Parts: sequence; C-alpha cells; structure tokens
Amino acid sequence: MASTGVAHPRHLLEPHVLAGLSNLELVARAVVNGFLTGLHRSPFFGFSQEFREYKAYAEGDDPRFIDWNVYARTDRTYIKRFLGETNTRLVILLDASASMGFGSGAVTKLQYAKFLAATLAYLATRQHDAVGLIVFDEDIVDHKKPSSRPGHLHGVLHAIDRAEPGTGTDLARPIERFRQFEKGRGLVAVISDFYCEPEALLAGVRPLAYQGHDVVLFQLLDPEELKPELRESALLEDMESGAAIEVSPSFMRARYREKIDAHISDLKRQATGAGADHVLVDITHPLDEALRSYLLFRHRRG
Amino acid sequence: MSFLAPAFLAGLLAIGLPLWLHRLSAENPNRRPFSSVMFLEAGEPRRVLAKQLQYLLLLAFRIAVLVALVLAFIQPAIWRDPAAAAAGGQRLHVIVVDTSASMAAGDRWDEAVDTAIDLIDSVPAADQVQLIAAGRVFEIVSSATLDKATVRQQVRSLETGVFFVDFGQLTRALDGVLRTAELPAVLHFVTDAQAAGLPTRFADLSPTEPVEIVVHAVGADEPNWSVGSLFGSALTGELAATVTSHAAAAADRTLEIELNGNVVDRQRVTLEPGSEAVVEFAPLTLQSGANRVRVIMQPGDVLAADDARMLALNRPVPHPVLVVSGELGGTGDTRFLTEAMRVLEGLSLEVTAIGESELAEQEFSDYEFVVVADAAAIDGREADRLSRYVESGGGLLLALGPRSPMLSAVPVTGHAFASQATPLGGRAANAVTIGSIETSHPALAGLDTIRAARFMRYAAVEETAADEVLIRLETGDPLLIERGLGDGRLLLYASSLDRQWNDLPREPAFVPFVAGLADHLLGGAGFTNEAALGSTLALAAMGMSGGQIFGPDGESVLRLGGTDVLLDQIGFYELVGGGRTELVAVNFDGRESDLAPAPEQTLARWQGLGRAPEAVEGGSAVREEVLVPLGYWLLLLILAAAIMESGLGNWHLRVRRGLAA
Repeated sequence: MASTGVAHPRHLLEPHVLAGLSNLELVARAVVNGFLTGLHRSPFFGFSQEFREYKAYAEGDDPRFIDWNVYARTDRTYIKRFLGETNTRLVILLDASASMGFGSGAVTKLQYAKFLAATLAYLATRQHDAVGLIVFDEDIVDHKKPSSRPGHLHGVLHAIDRAEPGTGTDLARPIERFRQFEKGRGLVAVISDFYCEPEALLAGVRPLAYQGHDVVLFQLLDPEELKPELRESALLEDMESGAAIEVSPSFMRARYREKIDAHISDLKRQATGAGADHVLVDITHPLDEALRSYLLFRHRRG
Repeated sequence: MSFLAPAFLAGLLAIGLPLWLHRLSAENPNRRPFSSVMFLEAGEPRRVLAKQLQYLLLLAFRIAVLVALVLAFIQPAIWRDPAAAAAGGQRLHVIVVDTSASMAAGDRWDEAVDTAIDLIDSVPAADQVQLIAAGRVFEIVSSATLDKATVRQQVRSLETGVFFVDFGQLTRALDGVLRTAELPAVLHFVTDAQAAGLPTRFADLSPTEPVEIVVHAVGADEPNWSVGSLFGSALTGELAATVTSHAAAAADRTLEIELNGNVVDRQRVTLEPGSEAVVEFAPLTLQSGANRVRVIMQPGDVLAADDARMLALNRPVPHPVLVVSGELGGTGDTRFLTEAMRVLEGLSLEVTAIGESELAEQEFSDYEFVVVADAAAIDGREADRLSRYVESGGGLLLALGPRSPMLSAVPVTGHAFASQATPLGGRAANAVTIGSIETSHPALAGLDTIRAARFMRYAAVEETAADEVLIRLETGDPLLIERGLGDGRLLLYASSLDRQWNDLPREPAFVPFVAGLADHLLGGAGFTNEAALGSTLALAAMGMSGGQIFGPDGESVLRLGGTDVLLDQIGFYELVGGGRTELVAVNFDGRESDLAPAPEQTLARWQGLGRAPEAVEGGSAVREEVLVPLGYWLLLLILAAAIMESGLGNWHLRVRRGLAA
C-alpha cells in the first residue's frame, strides 16, 4: 500500500507544519515521536524499556513501577529502572515578552518557544522526570511547580498554550522566583531571545549553578534578526519599548550583523563560564536540533 | 516684467501636487516592528537627517521645474532699454549689403565684399555683428552675433541678384530689425548708392529707430548703355527697340535681333550722351504660335544684364465671333461694337454680324464667342442652344437692350428683374455713372476711364450667389455680371451696347472695354507676353486651368499644387497646358541701368539722418523700451532643473536603499 499522505517523521518537526496543529499536546507528541523514530536506539537517548537496574522503593516513587515478582520472592519492594530514566526535575523558564512575538516566517519566536517548551515537557514526562514551568515577561505570568504526577503534564501544556506576547523582559524575576521555590537540584531550561546584557543574565544564572542546577539557555532568533535584509531605509520600532530608529540597509547588512554575532558569542562565552549550556536556535529550523542539544545536555548532567 | 499670458498663472497650483506627495511620503515612512533596537546605532539619525535634507532639496527642484514650466507658458518678458547696454560700450553693427542688379557692374561686387569684410574686421571684439542682404526683399543672413568669422564667411557666400532696390523701402523694412535690437545699433550700407534707388521723399531714408547710419559707397559712375524697351506687332512682325545711354560720351552700338535663336537682322545706332534712340527693324517673319525675339546690343559694357531684351510674340490666329443684333431688320445697334472689334487687330477677330432672324441658321460651335445685343431677341429654343454652347466651353456676351422690359427673366442666365420699369428718364440730368469697377479682373484691368460714361437707362437685375459683379453702377445695381456656366464664360451687360441707353460707345474707353471683354471671352488669347521682374505669373491669367511653368533655365518652377510663380529670373518663361504653349518674356529692370551714384552731398545728408543712441539719451526724446522675452532662458532653466532633479532623485533612492556611502 502506498504511503500517500503520510508525512515523513522528520517532516513533522518543521515549525511551519507544527503551526498547523492546534493542540499543543499533539504538537509535543508529534515532535517527540518523530524525533525518537529517527534516533534508532541510541545508547545515550534510548527510550526503550531496556532494563538497567533495581532500586529499593522509596516514598514518592511511582508504585506502578514496583516489580511484584521480586517482591514475591524477596518480600521487599524494588522498582525496576530502565535505560534513560534519571528521575530528575526539569523547570522550563519561558520568555513571553513582546519581542518574542517577532517572526518573519510561518511562526513567531513565541510560537516556536511554545513548541519547544511543550516538547521538552512531554519528553521529560516520558522519562518520568518531574516538570515545572515559569512563564514570564517583565513579571511572572504563570508558574507550575515541578511534579511527575499523572495529569500534571496537561496543566503544564495548558499554561504554555496560554502564553501570549506581553511587555518587556526581566530575567531576574523568574530566576528569583525559581530560587525561592526550587531548593533541590534539577534541570533548568530557559527559552528566550535574550535581548539583555549577558553579564546581567549570567548574574542570575550563576547562583543557580552554584545550587547544583544544570542550566541550558535556548536562544531563539529569527533569520531577520540574524541576517536582516532591508531593501531600503526603514524605521524599526522596538516591540517592547516602542522606540523607533531609522536604519539603512547597509548598516543592517554589515554593522548590525557584527553586533548581533558579538552578542551571541558573548552570551555563549558567559554561559560557559557560568557552567550553563547555550543553544542558538533558528526558528525556521526543525525542532530536532534543539531536542538533540537538550538530550546531550541531559545525558552529560544525568 | 510683463506676463503676456497671465491666465496660465493658475498652473502654479500644480506645485501643490509634489508638496502633497512629499508630505504623504514623509508621513508614511517605511515603518516596521523589530524585536529590539538595542543593537541599532545611535549614529543613524545623522544619516536620516542628511536624507531629509536631500529630500527637501529634491522637493525644491521639483517645484522649481513646475514653476519654470508655468512661467514658460506665461511667456514673461522684461522691458529693457536698449541704450542701457551702451554703458558697457557694446554696439550692434547691422551690415546691409546691396545685392541689387547694378552691383554686378564691373568690379563693384568684389569691392563690396572686401568692404564688408574690412568692416567686420574693424568692429571691436565686444560688439555684435548682423548681416543683411538687400535685394527684392531683405534677407537676414545672420542674427546678431559675436562670431565674426562666420559672418565673414557668409559675406563671401552672398551673390548679386537681378532686382531693383529702393533705399526708402529698404529703410522701412529695416525698422523692424532695429526695433528689436538689444544694443545701440550702427547701420552700415555697403552699396553702390545708385541715385535711381533713392526714394522720391528723402525723409523716407530716415529710420524711425535712433541708429547711426554709415554709407560705404562702392563703385564709380561708369558709362552704361541699355536696351530700354522692345515693341513688336504679332500681326505684322514689325519691331522697334529703344536704346538708352547712361554715359557722358557718344557711342556707336550694334543691335542684333535673334528670332527663335537665329540672328535675322542687325542695326547700327549712334547714341548721344544721356539720350534715347529708337531703332526700327525690318518686319519679322513670325512662325505660328509663340516666337522668341531677343535684341542684343554689342559691344557689351560693364553691366551685361541690360544689354539684351526679350519679347515673346504670339502670332494670333483668326478668332471667329458671332454678333447678333437685336434690331429688327438691321444691325445698327451693334455697329459700335463690331467696329471696335475690327480695330482690335491684336486680337484678330473675324466678326460675323447677323440679325436675330438669322440666329436659327447659325451653328454656335463655329464661333469662339457670341455677342447678343438684345436678350429679347432670344427665344426659348435659342436660349437652350446658347446654354449648351456655353457649357461646352463657348463664350457669351449678353446685353439687355431696349426690349428688355418685355422679358420676365433674362434668357440663358435666368436672372430676375428687380423692377420692370427702370426707365430713369431719357435726360442726361438723370443719368447714373459707374460706382465701382473690379479692376483686378483681367477683363477690366486699367479701365478706370470707363467711369466717364453715363447711363441713362439700364435693366436692374437681381444678382445671385453664383454671380460675380464686375461693374456696379452708383445706384448699387450691377452693370456687368460674370457667371460661370459649365466650361464656358458668360457675361451679362445690363444696358445696351449702342448709344440708346448710355454714351459709353462714344467714350475713348469703349474700345479697350470691348478688347478686355473679347480677350476674356477668348480665354486670354490676347495676353501681353511680357511680365515685370518680381511680379507673379499665374496659369489662370493665361486661360489655363492646369499645366506647368518652366523657367528660363528650363527647370520647372511651379510648385506641386501651385498655380502661380514669382518671376525672379530674366528670360523666357514657358507655360504649357491645355494643349498649348505660351511664352512670357521677363526683362531686366531698367531702373538699375543708370549706374550714377548719388552725389556726395546727398550721401552726407543720408548719413546725417542717423541719430546716435547716446544723443537720444541726453536729449528730450523718449526712447521706447524693448520687450525682451525670457522664454529661452526659462527653457534652459527647466532643462537644468530637470537634469538636477533626476540626479538628486537617483541619489535619494541610493540613500534610501543604503547604496550611498
């Protein structure tokens, strides 16, 4: 039977395809399944039910994973652990500022960020990780504490789905909030365009690293921000502050690119110095690159 | 400043369009949202300011183009005092070179060219020069210029003409040129200053514009002899020539006659100083049709053009004419007419006079034209025959004789009578005379003397739109009417041809009057075959409705679709058309033969008529200002502004697209 109408799994990761899906959970499932189908049982990222070890049951563990056969033989409760399971916590800091509403193609940066956040949350849930979410702009817009309870994922996805471009950006607020509520060790994924001074950002990130958190910074940028192409002079209006500056094509072709590249390099250098990972994401590219970066990061820290 | 067409000022409203477009463009910049302006440099506003300045400059150029365009339509001009330019010492030297026929005598022309070139060389570098050639009309060879080398070349390219120059008329014509001069003018005449060319009123030499006059006289009073006139009879071949001496000494000359290119006779004559001699020749044996007769005087002299004279003799063929009397039982009422026709030997008319009773026996086509002395003599049948005859190309002179009051309408023409009773009495005291004559008509040329005739009675006919009234009585009623009928000609005479109703037959003008009518009815067969140099010659005047005219050099001179030509060559013009050929001789203007220059005192008085502009400024005379149009400068301004607008607009686009540095 011909496979007419069935998209290639890789194709499902394209942002413009995902934009056609209205349900964020469906987006997350499509991305993760498509992504995993393409992994072909990697020793690092396997999600098969491949047994790795037994672990004594402790309070808080999911009782569904108790091996009742071992209990019958030994009268002790053990939990079967499988390859890929880390039993950690992932907190996603999603930037919903006005600048995230920018996009020159099929999706805006915020849409892409929502796809990425939903996918990460779904992926973490499949790995039995607790997932938390903080949506912010200048203030905290939404906050879901980490949990691996059944049904928690739906709450997280709904919170992601509700996010709309807000006002300005203040990264210090969500990090401060995170530090208030998350005392344990875990993973922190910050999804933003990072239009801020790298030193100020890292001033907030560095204490998290000191607390033992593993931080990954997903910097989402549109091609028009990376390599803008102006045909004639234009009055560019800041989406957050409303300030407007008239620029020439020649400036945007040369000087601006130098500055944005320098900013990205600086951000990456500062993140590395603070023990964080920095992943630059072009929002016209498929999500698998970002997921691959996340899994590599998780594997290294896990 | 003067606006000649101020209504176009409304066009200035058009500058609102670029203003509106620029404002619209300024209010709607290419504005777009962007994530963050944190990487945009604060130095950009400087570029924006530069762009805005360029934009304003562009707007200014666009408005300038529109304003200049509107001004060009308004045709502005400024009033300028020509003398104002004199402050800088600049002058305009108008050099008028006489190209009349007498300038060809001896070495006058070479001397004139050398004089003109020397004159140009002597003009100060800052002064302008204008060259004018004076012949039959004056020709502006060059406009006022500082380029003296070109004017020198133009002087060398001038040639003498064949025409006579009247210095009075020339001065009047030059007034127009001098009136528009922007600089104080000096009028230079390079001429042989013929005394014959001076006007009758010496004041005619005075220009109305205040200019300085300098006469550069060339040539000397050289002896000249000319063939002044030539008379010949086309019937008998008799020929006589008048020879004139313009010399201070007696001289012997030989006159040689060429007939159609062959020398047929020679006569020797002794010419006393300043006298005329008439030389008669043996009768020529003319061939049928047109004959070329040329008299050549030998030996020649300094002016060769007047040593020969030409005459075209058209030997006439007999023209049969039918004269129908309206007198019952006799032809007394046409006696004056037939006698007049018989003495017109030049027309060679063969008159057949009949009574009205013999009319039915006549075949009209045997005659070139028919005269009916009393329209009442024609019955309806004969009127139809006459109508067909005229329509087929015949000629008819129809007179309204004493029996006209019996008619209800004029036969053939159908004219109605304004009043059946137009007796006007029989006494001379009640007679009327002629009110107006169309002397431009070939049949009536030079017939003003006919006004002496008195008309005791006439038939008042009502003229129609198809009529051309050639003679009108003082009462306003038509006396002689021409009406075209088919291919022929029809003349209606509203009185009698004898003495019953008028005394015209007793007047000396009667024979020329009859000759003119007969000549016209014959289609111009009796045309004098000599025309004046400079006049026009029309095919229609020769009775030709179409054809071609060849000049003395054999070239066709009639323009396509033209009907007349200017006679500007000496020799025989040949007219070909309608199955016949006519010759017209054009001769040298005798006024140019007398080479005697005006006396020195006269030339001094002539130059004294000039007034230097400076003198006028200081005097009480008010100098008229000249209106100088600015259209040319405005067009240059539009061109410059349009070019700059294009360049600036292109630069502006480069700036907008960030291509400019």
